[in-house]
Amino acid sequence: MRNMFSDAPRTTLTAFYWAFLLYLLLPLTLMMAMSFKDANFVAFPIGDWTLDWYAKVMQDKQFLEACLYSVMIAAASTLAATTLGTWIAMLIVAEGIKGQVIIFALACLPAVVPGMISAISMRIFISTIDMPTGTAAIILGHTVHAVPFVVVMALTRLRSMPGNLVDAARDLGADSVVAFFRVTLPYLGPALVGGMIFCVLLSIDDFVRTFFLGGYRPTLPMLIFAKVQGGMSPEINAMATLVLVVTAAVGLYAEYLTRRARTR
Amino acid sequence: MQPVFQFDNVTKSYGKHVAVENLNLSIEAGKFVTLLGPSGCGKSTSLRMLGGFETPNSGRILLGGKDVTRVPPNKRNVNIVFQDYALFPHMTIAKNIAFGLELKGFDNQHIHRRVNELLELVQLQDYAKRLPSELSGGQRQRVALMRALAPDPEVLLLDEPLSALDAKLRQQMQIELKSIQEKTGKTFMFVTHDQEEALTMSDTIVVMNKGRIEQMGDPNTLYGRPGSVFVANFIGETNLLRSTVVGTEGDTAALSWNGVTIKAAPGGLAPKAGDNLYVVLRPEAIHCSADEPATGNRIKGKVRQRVFKGNHTSLSVEVGDGALLNALVHPSDVAQLSGDDVWVGWKPETTTVIPDRHAHN
Ligand SMILES: Nc1ncnc2c1ncn2[C@@H]1O[C@H](COP(=O)(O)OP(=O)(O)O)[C@@H](O)[C@H]1O
Ligand SMILES: [Mg+2]
Repeated sequence: MRNMFSDAPRTTLTAFYWAFLLYLLLPLTLMMAMSFKDANFVAFPIGDWTLDWYAKVMQDKQFLEACLYSVMIAAASTLAATTLGTWIAMLIVAEGIKGQVIIFALACLPAVVPGMISAISMRIFISTIDMPTGTAAIILGHTVHAVPFVVVMALTRLRSMPGNLVDAARDLGADSVVAFFRVTLPYLGPALVGGMIFCVLLSIDDFVRTFFLGGYRPTLPMLIFAKVQGGMSPEINAMATLVLVVTAAVGLYAEYLTRRARTR
Repeated sequence: MQPVFQFDNVTKSYGKHVAVENLNLSIEAGKFVTLLGPSGCGKSTSLRMLGGFETPNSGRILLGGKDVTRVPPNKRNVNIVFQDYALFPHMTIAKNIAFGLELKGFDNQHIHRRVNELLELVQLQDYAKRLPSELSGGQRQRVALMRALAPDPEVLLLDEPLSALDAKLRQQMQIELKSIQEKTGKTFMFVTHDQEEALTMSDTIVVMNKGRIEQMGDPNTLYGRPGSVFVANFIGETNLLRSTVVGTEGDTAALSWNGVTIKAAPGGLAPKAGDNLYVVLRPEAIHCSADEPATGNRIKGKVRQRVFKGNHTSLSVEVGDGALLNALVHPSDVAQLSGDDVWVGWKPETTTVIPDRHAHN
């Protein structure tokens, strides 16, 4: 029987949902709106609209260089983290290896250690081994940060893999290397693509590790940070909006890819 | 003739648990061999040892006369059809079948021809470009079979490949499997716990029990002349009459069972009076009639239960001191058995006699 109150919990939930969306989207919308403002400062009302800030950003050499640098670091750390993470996941599911729980715990540690602590300890570590700060150090930091996510994603997929697929490959004449590249890796594919895109986003987004490990060349977040310190301007809003749009697009595409692969 | 494969005193244990014990088995090329036995008796372990996925603790495995005991699976010329098919989900049907051929280094033209030939053999030409997930269970089964046959193995190993199919499809696949085996002339080693499946397809059945071979022979022999109580019970329906020898006369023994005296031919057992024996009496060997029959054994009994099974009726007849005999009655004979009083009769030579191993101790 329906009664007057039976819908109350649902209504409350729906209200929370909309409130949450508003809370999530309002700041972003404001930021985007300001990037079209035809004035030198960030404040309401917007008044006249313009695309000038975008034109300016696209010609900003510093911005473009920072973009390129961020992408390069993301690519390198993603490649390293994916290789390492996949290997660790394979190790964890392999038969006849002891201490798999410990390997798993260690591999996951960087995901739960606070970014600040992890950044400082990395900094101390690289100076102990006399490694200069800069590109290599940043890539190392980002890789360590991203590995746990790859491990978890690869592991989930590996655990759902029928055990005898590899047996079948071996049976048909594949040695373990061929079996890995022709059967295990393609099976892991969707999870790895998802993991890789996650790594890219983590790396592009990272500030604190880069801050401690970086040299003089700024990555995108560092550049924006530096600019913000010089005062807010619609140009920063335009930059941030561009970054937001691109990363959101990449994220959604990743989701689409993994979803498609999963339903096959 | 040299056997195509051979287990030479093979033992495999997991920790303290012995999965396969002193297995000696030698099979001729071109045969359809079935390992039959209840779950956990060591069938899969034996098959995986031949496939190279398990290493025996002792003994040797020979393939085409060569010792392969320690040769890894990818270097052995045998292929497995797995219970859940294990088709590569990201490869098309054609790619799945080509996998083993590619690894053997055949050129593309040869691979293409062979794949098409095999797909035609099971009428799946139109499915070459599909993914395994787009096929039905029966079709996947055929693809798995063709993938394993493609590299032309010396022995094809099949581990309960039909158990995931429904009853109707399973019967159809049994016939298809047998015909493919005959067409290709390959040696098939088939593993199942389903005795009917084994009887339908095999040239040779190896009955296993607790890691050991219980009996081995062609389906007729195993059904008609089971060598142990285990085999008699495991294969087909049976009446097992535990009886005591009263006396012997020539090659016939008089036995006391359940308060009545029956005759049986103990073969080479040479029993003495007082020995205990089992008589294996198949339900279809029993003849039921209203009038006293002329068969060597005949007992008067009462029908306790009739179960109509379509092509026959199954009767439960109480005889002697209350034992029940299970008999099959042909539809044309049922009509004359309207009353509960009935004669059961059987020829002594249709029964098999098994010694009671636990009698002496
Ligand atoms: N990897 C393993 N580890 C431990 N015990 C096993 C393993 N594989 C099989 N066994 C045991 O060996 C026995 C035989 O198994 P199996 O050959 O799979 O039987 P079947 O195929 O006849 O059902 C079973 O008791 C099973 O529990
Ligand atoms: Mg099994």
